[in-house]
Amino acid sequence: MKPAKGISRDSAQATTKTPDPPRVAPVRVAPPERRRSPRAWETPPAPVPPPPLDNYQSIVGAAEIDELRFLARELKGKTVKMINSTAVGGGVAEMLNRLVPLLSELEVITHWDVITGGNDFFEVTKAFHNALHGSAYELTRQAQEIFLVANEQNRQRMQFNEDVIVVHDPQPAALIRARAGTSARWVWRCHIDLSNPHPQVWGFLRPFVEQFDAAVFSSQSFARQLPIPQYLFYPCIDPLSEKNKDLDDSFVQKVCDEFGVDRKRPIITQVSRFDRLKDPVGVVQAFKLARKYTDCQLVLAGGGASDDPEGAIVLNEVKEAAGADPDIIILDLPPWCALEINALQRASTLVVQKSIKEGFGLTVTEALWKGKPTIAGAVGGIPNQIIHKLTGALVHSVEGCAYQIRYLLTHPEFADQLGKNGHEHVKENFLMTTNVRRWLLLFRILLAGVR
Amino acid sequence: MAAATSTLHRVAAKPFYFNTAAYLLRITRQKAATLAELLEALRECPEESIFQHTFRTLQEHHFIRQGFSNDFAQWALSSCKEPGLGERLSAVDVREFTSVAELRATFMRIVGDFLQANPAAGKRSAQEVFYFCASDTVVIPTSFVAETMQDFAMGVRSVSVHSIHHHFIEARLRLKLMSNDFSQWLHEDMGLTDTARALNQIDIYTGTLEDVRRHIVRIVERALTAGGN
Repeated sequence: MKPAKGISRDSAQATTKTPDPPRVAPVRVAPPERRRSPRAWETPPAPVPPPPLDNYQSIVGAAEIDELRFLARELKGKTVKMINSTAVGGGVAEMLNRLVPLLSELEVITHWDVITGGNDFFEVTKAFHNALHGSAYELTRQAQEIFLVANEQNRQRMQFNEDVIVVHDPQPAALIRARAGTSARWVWRCHIDLSNPHPQVWGFLRPFVEQFDAAVFSSQSFARQLPIPQYLFYPCIDPLSEKNKDLDDSFVQKVCDEFGVDRKRPIITQVSRFDRLKDPVGVVQAFKLARKYTDCQLVLAGGGASDDPEGAIVLNEVKEAAGADPDIIILDLPPWCALEINALQRASTLVVQKSIKEGFGLTVTEALWKGKPTIAGAVGGIPNQIIHKLTGALVHSVEGCAYQIRYLLTHPEFADQLGKNGHEHVKENFLMTTNVRRWLLLFRILLAGVR
Repeated sequence: MAAATSTLHRVAAKPFYFNTAAYLLRITRQKAATLAELLEALRECPEESIFQHTFRTLQEHHFIRQGFSNDFAQWALSSCKEPGLGERLSAVDVREFTSVAELRATFMRIVGDFLQANPAAGKRSAQEVFYFCASDTVVIPTSFVAETMQDFAMGVRSVSVHSIHHHFIEARLRLKLMSNDFSQWLHEDMGLTDTARALNQIDIYTGTLEDVRRHIVRIVERALTAGGN
C-alpha cells in the first residue's frame, strides 16, 4: 500500500502543526481558476490503529467510561466471536474494526472471523441483499444451494468455542446450524433494512434467523415478527475516526482553498454517493431556489462515479442540473478522503441530506456531531436523528428543502441551537461508546445465569 | 454562621450511594399507524414500553430545553399533525406519577377523549408509524458516596446525567412517592427538609438535565452557605 507521501496523518489534528495540502483529485471544481492543482493519490493511506478507550474520555466524560468498565466487569473472561463477510470496506467492517479492540480492552475477549466463499456465493448474497431491500428477484434452487454449501464449508472450517457468537447480516446466517454442538448464545445482527423484504428470500432466511437467541436491528421499522427477542442498536460513528475527529482550522481552510470553496460566504454541503436515492439533482434545484433570496454556495461531495456506471450517469445529471453556475462545486472523491470530507463538513454553514430512501443516514450523524444545522429527508433512520425543529429540519420536497435553507441561513441563532442539540443527540445516542455499552448490556442479558 | 457550620459538618444517618442506570432497547410487537391504533397499543403494550416512551425518552433527549416531553406527544404533533392532542399529551408530567400503570391510564384517557370528540382523526394515517420499544435496565454503582453535604455536592457535580435522571426523575417509580432519591436522603438522613423540598420543586421540563444538575448544585451550595434546614 502506498503511503500518503508528504501528508502526516497527524497534520489534520487540532494542533498547531501546519497541515499539508489535501491528497485527493476532485473531478471538477468550479470555478477552476480559483483552485490550485490538487495532489492526487491513487491508493489509500495505511489505516490508523484504533484508539484505546481512555482516548474517548475527553469526549464522553469519565463517568461514561467508568460505566463501561463496570458493565464489562461481570463479563470478564467471557469470549465473543463476531462473524461477517468482509474484513475491509463497508460500514460493518469499519464498525468491527473499532468495536472488537474496545471490547477486548474491556477484557471481553472478542474474536473476529470473516467467512469465505467463491464469486458465485457473493453474487447470490448480493442479490439477497438487494431483494431484502425490496428489489425484484427470483430465488432459484441453485442460489439456495450455493448459499447453503458456502455456509456449510465455513461451518466446518470455523470453531465456535466462544460464549457468544454474533453473526452479522444474512451472508453467514446459516452458520446457526453449528449451534447444536455449542453452548454459546447466538445473536443475529442485521444491518440492513428489512422493512419491505422480498417474501421468498426472507422466507428462505427466516427459519435460520428464528434459531438465534436474539436479533438486533438498526431501526424499529426494520424489525420483523419473530419468536425471538429483538433489540434496537442504532448505528454509530467514531468521534476519533478521521471522518469525525477535531481538525485544525488551518487544515479546513487548506481543503476549502484547494476545492475553491469560499469560507467568507455561506456554504451548503451534501456528502453522499452520486446515487439517485440521495437526490443530488433535487439538492441543486433546492439550492437554486434558495439562492434567489440569499447568497450561498453549494458543495456536493461524493464518490461512486468512477467505480459504478450508474454513479457516472448520475454525476452527469448533476453537472447538467448545475450548468455553468460557479457557486455549485461538485467533487467526486475517492473513498479514502475521510479527512477532506470531515473538513468540508466542518466548513459548512448548513448540511443537507435530501435522501429519497436511506438506511440510517450516517452522513447525517456526522454532520450533527460537528454541530451543523442539518436539513434532511424524512426517510429511513433519519427521523431517529432529526427531530424536526429540535435537532434539525426534516423535509419532504425540493421546495421544503429550499425554504429550510433560506430560513436557517437567515435565522443563525435558531440554526445554531439546532446544531448544538444535534451534537448532544449524537453524543447521547449514536457514538461508538454507546454502541459498546449496548453490546455489553446484551451480553449480560444473554449470559445472565450462565456460568 | 453557626447554622451554616452545622450544615457543613453534619454527617448523614446513612450515606448516599450514587448509582446510575444503563438501558437496552427492545423492539416490541406493538405499532401504530393511526391514533386509534395508538390507543389500542397503549392498552396492550408492556409497562416497560410506557416507561421507555415517557421517563426514558426524557433522558435520551435530556439536552432539549423546550418542546419535548414524551414520544406520544411528539408523534401526535409531528406525524399525526394534531397539535391540540400533542399539547395535552405533552402536559403529562411524569413526576406526578408513582406507577407506570397510572401513567398508562392517563395517556389512554387523553387519547380516548380526543378520539371520542374527533372520531375521524382516529382513522387518518400518520406520516410515520409509531413503533413501541421497551427498556431492559441494569443499575450501575458509581464511585461517589456522600456522607456530608460537601460530598453530596461533589457527587452531583461529578456523576453522569444518567445518574441524575436515575435518582431525580425515575426514582419515584421505585419510591412510590412524589419525591426523588436526593430529596428523600436530604430529608430523612440529613434532616434538611427545606432543601429537600426545594430540590423537589425544580422544573424538569423547562431546562436540560445539565440545567437540572446546576440547579441542584445551587440549592445545595445555598444550604451549605446559609445553613438552611
